[in-house]
Amino acid sequence: MSIPFPSDAWIKALQDVLNSDDEYGKIASNWEGDLTFVVKAEGARAKPIYMYMDLWHGKCRDARQVADLNEKKAAFLLAAPFSVFQKIVQGKLDPMQAMMTRQLKVTGNMVYMMRNVPTVLRFVKCTSKIDSGFAE
Amino acid sequence: MSGYGGQILTINLTTGTTGVRTLDPQLFRDFVGGASLAAKLLYESLTPDLDPLSPDNPLLFLTGPLTGSSGPAVGRYVVCAKSPATHIWAESNCGGFFGPEIRFAGYDGILFTGRASSPVYVWIKNDKVELRDASHLWGGDTYETQTRIKNEVNDSLARVACIGVAGERLISYALILNDHGRVAGRTGMGAVMGSKNLKAVAVRGGNPLSFADPAFNQKRSRANIELRNDNVSQVLREMGSSGGSDYFNYLGEMPARYFSRSGFESIDKVSGATMSETILSGVSTCHACVIACGRKVILPDGDYQRGESKGPEYETIVGFGPNLEISDLAAITHLGQLCDSLGVDSISMSNTIGLAFMMYQEGVITTKDTNGLELRWGDARAIEKLIHLAVKREGFGELLARGSKALAKHFGVEKMAVQVNGLEVAYHDPRGATGMGLVYATSPRGACHNQSDYFMVEIGNSMSEIGVEMMDRAASEGKALSVSRHQWWRTLNNSLVMCVFANVPFNTARELLNAATGFDYSAEEFLRCGERSWALKRAINNRLGITAKNDTLPRALLTPLSEGGAAGVVINLPMMLKEYYDVQGWDAATGKPTRSTLERLDLKNVADDLWINTLSS
Repeated sequence: MSIPFPSDAWIKALQDVLNSDDEYGKIASNWEGDLTFVVKAEGARAKPIYMYMDLWHGKCRDARQVADLNEKKAAFLLAAPFSVFQKIVQGKLDPMQAMMTRQLKVTGNMVYMMRNVPTVLRFVKCTSKIDSGFAE
Repeated sequence: MSGYGGQILTINLTTGTTGVRTLDPQLFRDFVGGASLAAKLLYESLTPDLDPLSPDNPLLFLTGPLTGSSGPAVGRYVVCAKSPATHIWAESNCGGFFGPEIRFAGYDGILFTGRASSPVYVWIKNDKVELRDASHLWGGDTYETQTRIKNEVNDSLARVACIGVAGERLISYALILNDHGRVAGRTGMGAVMGSKNLKAVAVRGGNPLSFADPAFNQKRSRANIELRNDNVSQVLREMGSSGGSDYFNYLGEMPARYFSRSGFESIDKVSGATMSETILSGVSTCHACVIACGRKVILPDGDYQRGESKGPEYETIVGFGPNLEISDLAAITHLGQLCDSLGVDSISMSNTIGLAFMMYQEGVITTKDTNGLELRWGDARAIEKLIHLAVKREGFGELLARGSKALAKHFGVEKMAVQVNGLEVAYHDPRGATGMGLVYATSPRGACHNQSDYFMVEIGNSMSEIGVEMMDRAASEGKALSVSRHQWWRTLNNSLVMCVFANVPFNTARELLNAATGFDYSAEEFLRCGERSWALKRAINNRLGITAKNDTLPRALLTPLSEGGAAGVVINLPMMLKEYYDVQGWDAATGKPTRSTLERLDLKNVADDLWINTLSS
């Protein structure tokens, strides 16, 4: 049974995937930084949804849906409408393409981000391992 | 007329006479401005027998309709002529504040003809134009020249574009520099200035620009806000143009050891990210730019200790870093500064030195050929000596001064040179982004990354509004249409003149142009302007001897890499070119735009020139 995106269950599923993915663990062994997915309000989705992850040295130490950005202040924000996240998670939209074409807004230390693009790409690849549901 | 000065200043350096040439408004409509308008204006003058270093080579500085408007990344100008480096079409654009000052002085551009009998500089203050003696400035570097001229004209806000010693000595890849190290680097426009005994051009203007739409300022402010918030702008602001170097290295898109390797182990010591974390002291901008990609650095200690100076941009970092295997950012900064102050293009210089190193490694040359210098990868001191030798045209330096194509030919190893049509390949390896192979092979000024930075499309910067789509970066098939459209778009950038670093959407640029000029370009007409100018530049080069045989890549780039992110990628250039000629409407046998293509683009006179007495097409 698919896990609905976005949701607390989905972000916890991603935590499990990351913590069991050897390649992510290796590539991200130096990564130190938490992030929040900001799924912007779009269409029938009247309110944004926030999902927080604490990523540390190739592991995910915490993952949960939060009420707003103040509940957990993250180093990085990845913000996009639901439809864009859906395409990224389904592998239909390259995450770098989403970033460069302004579909996905990245906020945070870009120096750190650009040094660790392989980590980011593997991270996104891991999202596709979840049996995600995208009910409108 | 709105958006334009409507006139160019003409200066005959032989006679010392000046004048003003009014331009037909239809020219602006058809060619927009910048390099495209220059191609139209210079078309008749650029003949096969024209010596680029003779007084007969016209040298045209041109701005665009948005230059000086404080629009998104449009504080630029372009310099055009016949290139002494390639003997074909030359254009080289430049940021800083010099371009806007031309507009504020009341002109769209400045056309230099002839040759002064002794060194001069030109001082333009609105409608007052003076030729001044520059004998005392001859031999000066590009930074001190600016300072001295500003003092002489008693105007600290004057903007000065000048050449260094390299331009004076007619090095084929000499540059023009203004402001804080902004350069018109490629195709040797500094040598053309030098050949005219023109040391510098100083401009100060006081005329406001006018725009057709009262809402223009509101529109350009909105475009600037969007640009400032753009992810790519953020990367450029925080790390400069080398912000992507770690990623390019990972992808195998960054060449190392003169294009023989991929993946530079010490990239973390020289990348833009490292610069930001270590020696960065500030940032610099061009006129009204919201990105501020320019770097200021301080080298606090060590062999290259210096106070605040310009930090290297991507091409200089890769050229002296991975390309020559230097992993010391201070040394790279020093070598980049040396090139700027002497007035040579750091891409062509580092590429030509790379060839020398490779020839030394392969035993083609020895210390007997190199003024006794051992050429070992990573030896920054040897590289510094070679730069000085080249600019002095002394010994082995005389060969380096002619560029890589001539250097390779001298030693009978033409195929070793990583160049196309005489212009050294920039540091984006097409094996990591195959569309760049097509770009390099067909660019009107040789292997140029600014006629289309298609590598950005290959990593995701698609433009669906004009059909430029991201595809498999290792594939060759099916890319020609996307590459062509991107070339037409960048041709428009070079017409506006808009920085290619600025991630400005096509329709935003079009709407700003319409608001500035009062024109009503549709998306289709606007893109066709790019296509028209692309075909015109091709026609100029056809007249100068370029054929389909020139649309090629050097051996190194057609050889698959054995390692890194682009390992095993083979560029199928013949297939790409076949598709490309179809898309562009060029004749595959001759490489010329067909008569029907030229006529469709309203270039009937050009069609008559190219196809007179010819039955085909």
